[in-house]
Amino acid sequence: MKKVVFAFMIVFTFLAVSTFANAAARPGYDDKEIRIGQWGPQTGPAAPWGSVARGSALLFNVVNEQGGIHGRKIKYFIRDDQYNPAQTKAVVKELVERVGVFAFVGGVGGACGLAVMDYLAENKIIWVGPSAAITDFVFPVKPYLFAVYPLYEDEGSILAKYVVEKLKSKKIAFFYQNDAYGKDGLKGAKKRLATYKMKFVEEIPVEPGEKDLSSQMLKFKKSGADVVMMFVNPTIATIALKTSATVDFKPQWVSSNTLSDYGLMFKITGGLWEGVITGAFGMTPTADHPLMNMYREAGKKYAPEERWGTFYLAGVVFADPLVEALKRVGPKLTRDAALRELNSLTNHQTIGPKITWTPKIHQGTDSIQIQKCGPNASYILLQDWTPNELATWKKK
Amino acid sequence: MDMKRDYYEDVELFKSGTILFWSIAFLIFLFTLPIYLPSYNVYLLNIIMVHVILAVGLNILVGYTGQISLGHAGFFAIGAYGTSLLMMHLHLPFIAAIIIAALIAAFFGFIIGLPALRLEGPYLAIATLGFGLTIMHIIGRWEVFGGRMGISAPPLDLGIPDTSLSWVINGDVKIYYLILIITVLMVIAARNMMKTRIGRAFMSIRDDDIAAEVMGVNLTIYKTMSFGVSAFYAGVAGGLYGFVVGYFDPFSFNLILSIVFLVMITVGGLGSIMGAIMGAVLITYLQFDLLKNVENLPYLGELLVAISRKWFTVIGLANFSHIALGLIMIAIVIFEPLGMFGIWIRIKKYWKTWPF
Repeated sequence: MKKVVFAFMIVFTFLAVSTFANAAARPGYDDKEIRIGQWGPQTGPAAPWGSVARGSALLFNVVNEQGGIHGRKIKYFIRDDQYNPAQTKAVVKELVERVGVFAFVGGVGGACGLAVMDYLAENKIIWVGPSAAITDFVFPVKPYLFAVYPLYEDEGSILAKYVVEKLKSKKIAFFYQNDAYGKDGLKGAKKRLATYKMKFVEEIPVEPGEKDLSSQMLKFKKSGADVVMMFVNPTIATIALKTSATVDFKPQWVSSNTLSDYGLMFKITGGLWEGVITGAFGMTPTADHPLMNMYREAGKKYAPEERWGTFYLAGVVFADPLVEALKRVGPKLTRDAALRELNSLTNHQTIGPKITWTPKIHQGTDSIQIQKCGPNASYILLQDWTPNELATWKKK
Repeated sequence: MDMKRDYYEDVELFKSGTILFWSIAFLIFLFTLPIYLPSYNVYLLNIIMVHVILAVGLNILVGYTGQISLGHAGFFAIGAYGTSLLMMHLHLPFIAAIIIAALIAAFFGFIIGLPALRLEGPYLAIATLGFGLTIMHIIGRWEVFGGRMGISAPPLDLGIPDTSLSWVINGDVKIYYLILIITVLMVIAARNMMKTRIGRAFMSIRDDDIAAEVMGVNLTIYKTMSFGVSAFYAGVAGGLYGFVVGYFDPFSFNLILSIVFLVMITVGGLGSIMGAIMGAVLITYLQFDLLKNVENLPYLGELLVAISRKWFTVIGLANFSHIALGLIMIAIVIFEPLGMFGIWIRIKKYWKTWPF
C-alpha cells in the first residue's frame, strides 16, 4: 500500500511540475479570442456571492453564441479566492502573468479588490464593474478601473426620498452596519432627510458578528418608528426581522440592494422577508423585457442548475459594459482603443442602470430601482430607475 | 545510522561535508530562483516562505512542546497589523517595526501560555480558539486598526523613513530576497534552539510533563516560553505577510487560517523543523496554485472537469479542490503518521542502506 501511495505521489509531483511549463504572459487577446477573468468566492464563508462570477459566464456564453466580438470569442476564467485577499492576489497574478488576460470584470469583496487594485493599475489591466461600492475604487479616478455598482451614499439618499415621499412616513429609523458600507448609506439618507428638515428618530449601528439584537429592536419600537431603513448584512437582517417579530414590532423595512436577493432572504428569514422594500442594481429577474427573456432562455440552456437570482444576474450587469465597449472598438482591438470606448460610453443600458463614463468620472451610475419582495419571494417593481439628484460627485 | 557519540556532534548544524555541500547548493538554488521563474511564482514563493516561518514556529509549540493552538491566526494578525501600524504612525524602519510587532505577539503568546499551565488538550484548544477570534473582532471594531475595511501596508522601507537613509524596496523579487534571508535565519534559529536545553525541556514536557518537572524542568517558564517563541515566529510571519499581500482586513485572519496552519504541520510532520517546512510548502502550493488550476493539469484535468460537470454543484471545480485537499490530508495521516517527514526519513534510509 505504501508503495502505491508513493507511486501516486511521484505521478502527482510530475503533473504538478508540468503545470509550470505553461506559456508566459500574452497580451490578453489574439485573432481568435479575448481572455477575461474574474475572482469570486466559490467556496468558504462568502460562497453565496460566488454566483456573480458565474453570472458573467452566462453573458459571455451568449456573446460567443452570437459569433463573439468581431470574430473573437471570449475565453472566460473564474478563479475561487475564498474571499481571502492573499488568494485574490495569487489568482489575479496567475491570470495576468501566466494566462494573460485582457481585462477583469466583477470581483466580489472590498478587501479582495483593494489588495489587487494597484497591481492591476501597474499592469494596465482594464477592470470593469467591481462587485462592491468602494469609494477608493473611483475617487480619485483610476484610469483602468470602471465602476458600475451604485454608491451606497446615493442609494441611501434615493431610498430616503422614497420613504418620505411615497411611504409618507414621518418617523423613520436607521439601522446600519458599523463600517464604510453602513456609514455611507447613513450619510446619504441623512443628507436627503435634511432637505425635508427631518431627522431619524433613531440611528443604531450594529457590528456584523452580533447575535442578539433584542435591545436594538426594543429601542426602535420605543422610538415609534414606522419605517426602519437598514444597511446591514444578510445575517444581521435575518436576526433583526426575527427578533422584531417576537417583540411585536412590525415596521416597514427598507433595505439596501445588498439584500435584494429575495430568494435567499426569503429562505433564511423563514418568509419574514415578504413585504420588505429594497434598492436594486438590476431589473427584477422575472421582468418581462426582451433582454431579460433572452438571458432567461440562455440560463436554462447553459446553467440549468443555477438559481435565477439577483446576484447571478449581477454578473451580467457588471460585465455587460465591457462587452459593449469591445463591440464598439471594432475589429482592430487594442488596449487603448478599448479604454477610449469605455471612457466615452454614454447612457448605455441593458438590464442594469444607465452607464456613463467620462475620462474624469469612472463611477458609472447613481441610479437604482426600488423593488419589493412579494409572496413566495416574488419580485414587485415599485419604482423604475431613479437617479440621485443630490449626488455631489457628478459635479466634479 | 544516526548514532551520536558526543554532545557536540548532536548540536552540529551540518553533520557531514555532504550535507554542508547540499545545503549550500540548495541555498544558492533558492537565491537564484527568481531568475528562472516567472514573477507570478515569486509571489507564491513569498507566501510559501511566510507560511514556512509560521509553521516552524507553530511546530515548536505543537510538535515539540505538545501544546495545541487554534489561535495562531491571532498572533499572525498582531504581527501584520503591528508592523504596518508602527511603520505608518511612528515611522519606524521596517526591521525595528517587525521585531517590536513580533515581541508584542510574543507577549500575547506569553499571556495565553499562562492558562495553558492548567489547561490541556481540548480545553487549551478552546482557550486559544477564543483568543484568535477575539483578536480578529477587536481589530475589526477599532478604527485605529482600519476597522473591518482593513488597511494597506505602507511602503517597505528598510532604511530610516523620510530621511536620506530611506531605502524603499518594492516588487515581488526584492521582497523575495528579504523574506528568504529572514526565513533562513528563523529556521536555523529554531533548529538550534531545539538542540539546546530549551528544546530538550520542550520535548520532555511533550513526552510527560510530570516526569519533566521531576527532572527539574520548570513548567511555568518553559510552557509560557514555548507559547512566546511560537507567537514570535507567527508575528514575524504576519509582518512579512502584510507586505506580500499589500492589503489586509481582519477577516483575512479567521479561524480557518488557524486550522490550515495546524494542517500544515500535521501533514508535514509534527516535531520536526523539516516537516513544518515541507508541510507549509505543500499545503500552500496546493491551496494557492495547483488546486485552482486543476483543469490545466495534463490528462487528469479534463477527466476532473468532466466528473465535476456530471455530478458536482454549479460551482464546478472549486468543489474538487476542497475534496482533494481533504483526501491528501487523510491519506498522509493514515499512511504516514509522521507526515511528509516520515517519507523523507524512509527515502533517506533507503539510499543510505542501498543496495540492501
